[in-house]
Formats: sequence, C-alpha cells, structure tokens
Amino acid sequence: MNHKELIASMAAKLNAPKSIVADLLETTVTTCTELLVEEKTIGFQSFGNFEVRKKEERLSVHPSTQVRTLIPPKLVVNFKQSNVLKDKLKDLSHNE
Amino acid sequence: MNKEKISSQEIIDLVSSKSSVSKRVAEEFLKVMISSIEEALLAGEVVKIKNFGTFKLLWNEPRKSVNVQTGDDILLSGYHKVSFTPDTILRDLVNEPFAHLLPVELDSENPEPIQEKTDVALDPLRIFTDQAAEIKDLLSEIQALSSAGDSKILKEESEPVLPVESTVVAEDVYKLIQEESVVEHIQEEQVAVQIPNEVTEPVQTQNEAEPIQESPVEFVYEEKQQKSIVTEIDKQQPVDSVVSIYEERQFNDENKSGQSVNSIPELDSTEFLKDIKPIRKHRVWLMIVIIIALLAGLCGGLYLFCPPVTDFTNSSIEKVGKITDNVVASVANLFHTKPKQTPPVARTIIVPKDTTANDSVDDEVAAAEKESVDSLQVMFDNPRVYTKFIGSEIVKPGNRLTIMSKKYYGNKDFWVYIYEANKENIPNPDRISEGTVIRIPKLDSRLIDVTNPRCIKKAKELHDVYVKNKVN
Repeated sequence: MNHKELIASMAAKLNAPKSIVADLLETTVTTCTELLVEEKTIGFQSFGNFEVRKKEERLSVHPSTQVRTLIPPKLVVNFKQSNVLKDKLKDLSHNE
Repeated sequence: MNKEKISSQEIIDLVSSKSSVSKRVAEEFLKVMISSIEEALLAGEVVKIKNFGTFKLLWNEPRKSVNVQTGDDILLSGYHKVSFTPDTILRDLVNEPFAHLLPVELDSENPEPIQEKTDVALDPLRIFTDQAAEIKDLLSEIQALSSAGDSKILKEESEPVLPVESTVVAEDVYKLIQEESVVEHIQEEQVAVQIPNEVTEPVQTQNEAEPIQESPVEFVYEEKQQKSIVTEIDKQQPVDSVVSIYEERQFNDENKSGQSVNSIPELDSTEFLKDIKPIRKHRVWLMIVIIIALLAGLCGGLYLFCPPVTDFTNSSIEKVGKITDNVVASVANLFHTKPKQTPPVARTIIVPKDTTANDSVDDEVAAAEKESVDSLQVMFDNPRVYTKFIGSEIVKPGNRLTIMSKKYYGNKDFWVYIYEANKENIPNPDRISEGTVIRIPKLDSRLIDVTNPRCIKKAKELHDVYVKNKVN
C-alpha cells in the first residue's frame, strides 16, 4: 500500500475528499518529523512509539580487505510496536 | 537529551492548530490513519508514507531458549513485528547533528610512513656512491693538473695531515670549499687561455702561466685575485700563515722582476727554484687542495644527510647531483661577491660553469612553480580578507560551523572560511558557544567550487591546520 492508496482508503473511511486527507496527512508527517528532529519520543496509543536512538561510534573491519574503519555515531529513528498491536499480530498466521 | 514523550493527544493538538481544523476532526483523522495502517499491515501489505517511512511486517522465527530458573529448554514461538524504515528525508533530518562526520579508515594511514622509511634506508647508499664518485673525479682532476711526480708525494703526505685538518670547524670547511672552487676556476681559466710557454722546470707543470705579452691590466687583476685568496687562507688556516707569507714575498718579487704571473699562488718563480721552501710549499698547497676535496665530499654528505627525510625521499640520483652542484655554485657565488676587485675578464671566464649550474637549478624551480602556481593557487596562498558578509547566524544548541557551511556554501568542508572570518569570536572551532553571532563571509565562487576537488582539498588542509592548532 503506497501513499496514494493509504489516502484513498482513509478518505473512504472518513467520507472526506482526498485532498483534505492528503493535507492532513502531510501536516501530521511534518509535525512528527519536527518532533523527532528535536529528539522527542512520539507515542501513538495502541500503535507504538517513535523514538530517536543514538548509535554509538564503532570500529568496523572489512571482512575481505581487513581495512578497519571508524564509523561515526548517528541518530536513527526507531519504531517499537505497542503491546496492543503485538497482540493483534499474534493472531496472524505465519504462512511461509 | 530531551527525551520527553509526546502522546497522541499532543499530536492531535498540534495537527489541529497547524492545519486549522477542529481537534475532533484531527483526532478522527489520526485514529483512521492508524487503523488504516494496521489493517494494511494485518493484510500483509507494506505501508509507505511519503517523506516519513515504510511500515512492514517482519516474521521473527521461533527460537530455542533456556529457562533461567529451571534450566529447561523452552521454545519461544515466532511472532510478527512491525518494522519501520524511515524515509531518507526523515533520516537525514534526524541525523543532522552528526551529518558532518564521515567514516575514517584507520589502517590506510599506516603503510605510507613504513614505505618512506624503506626509501630512506636505500637512499644513503646511493648518496655514498655518488659522493665517492665525485671525490674520485675531483682527485683525478687535481692529479691531472698537478705534475706526475708530485702526485705520488701528495698521496703520501695528504694522509698524515688529514686528521689535523678534519678538526677544522664547519665555517672553515665552507670557506675551504669556496677556495677550492676558485682554485678550480682559475685552473680552468688557465687551461682556456693557455698558450704554451717555455716550461722552466719539469716539476712546475702549473707554471704554464700566461705569456708576458698578455695585457698588463689583466695581469694586475689576476694578481689581486691571488692576494685575496691568500688573505683568505690567512684567516682560515693560521697553520698556513707562514706559507702565505712566503707567497706574498714571492709576489712582491715577481712584481719587481715583472715576470709573468702564475694564476695559482703556489707556483714558484725561477728565483725560488733553488730554495727548498717553495717546493715544500708547492706540496703543501696541493695537499691542501686534496684535503679540500675530501672535506668538500664530507660537507656534501653532511648537507645531504641533514635535510629532513622528506627532502630526499623524492630525490633521485640526479637530484642529489643537482644539490651538490647547487651547494658548490652558491658557495662560489658567495666568494665572488667578496673580492670586489675580481676582474671582469676573470669573472667572465669563471662564470659559465656557475651560471649553468645556477640556471639549471633556477629553471627547475621556476618550472616547478609554474606547474603549481596558477590563479587558484594564488587565491589559496593569499590570506583571505573578509569584508563582505552574506548573512549571520546565532549559534543554537546543536548547530555547528560545518552545518552552516553546508547551508551557505553547499559543502561542509568550507567551514574553515567561516571560522577564519569569525576567529576572534570562536576560541575553539569544535565547540562554538551558544548565542555567538557567526557572520557568514562572502567568498569567491571559485574558492568554494564544490565540483573542484582542489578547493575541497585546500579546505581540508586548512581544517587540519586549525584542528592541530587547537590540539597543540
């Protein structure tokens, strides 16, 4: 499901035009981005938490050339599902 | 770090205020959004939100574990997990405080110095052989000029005297080289001008002096030159002072008699032939010449070994030769400036060798400079003056010079120029204090050409300079 499909399904549920839904979604995304840039954790009830984590610097060794490289620290966005969502997913059968 | 948690309610408030919709609508919207994503995920789909990221279901395989209390093996059942991969835009925005950092290869720097060391180990051998060859050449030259009979005696005599001479200080050594070069030149001159004269004695091969019919002006000049040499010898070698006195006496005699003047001071006039002293002096002189040659070799060796390692890692055998040429030439030049009475005639004869040596060196330098010096280089070398500013920025927490550089110039490496323009306000470029007003200088577009690797290289050089300064 891509961006457009998501908007379409949401618009159908809300009985609202797609343009308004698209605007709202964009606003939400920018809001979340701003908050994450400020390194704040965003918690969506019954869905999960968006969190910024710092990955510390580390030494990596190239397996074949043995060149050691110092990887600098970085900040990454991490999503952790809530227990509610996890329980829902438990019912999902694993087909593979 | 600010780790406060924003709840759904706060998001709803923010969205409603931003898009000027009621909170109720915003809340509804958010609920629908989450439920839509969940549904799609439960249906096994991948949900992609533009500029935000991708939600995907991952299956975690069941795995065996051990109950820590009982020690029994237990099987953890597999489960689905929602994974979120942030979009590149979101990822870059979040990682901005560390965006300027790049991976550093640690091992790549080490092999280079090792290689340099091996080069250094090889070079001295080459230099030694070169020096040995040079000294041999000099000796053979001198022997060729001096008489065949004397050469044997010289060899015998030079050895015992050498230890005494080796104690001569470095300054004297240089002077000796000057002297030697002059002597050589005079000898060359002599050969060039030489008109076979009646050799009065078989021992005095160097008595093949200029004929009497030579112009008197030149004659006087040459004599003066000789005197200057003699005076120099007086200064340098007090041991030889007695000898030089003899020489002076000899010159006086020659002046009176009006005989032809020998261009080399150690030459004997016929009046002194019967005397033993002149012959001795002659030997002493030749001895000195040989000692000088040896000392010159030593000097060359010292000169070559003293400069930093980097100098001769690059230098090939040819360059080594050029360096010695350079030394001889410069030393010879020093000498030429000293005696003002040096005749123009003599100078013109002496000069060719030196000028060729000098010119070749100069040409090389010039050529090397031409290669490296162009307009960009000039711009790099000139100290930059910051008069115009295209903006200013107040330092906020988390802001860095590199980020400003990226914002204004398009590349974070050019932060050094911002630092240069604000040096008085920034004691430490790594830690700019909050609230400092940073002025962004207007830079020549050629200087901050992102596409030109030289610009970036220069900026990185400056970076190294400033970072090292800070460390020291």
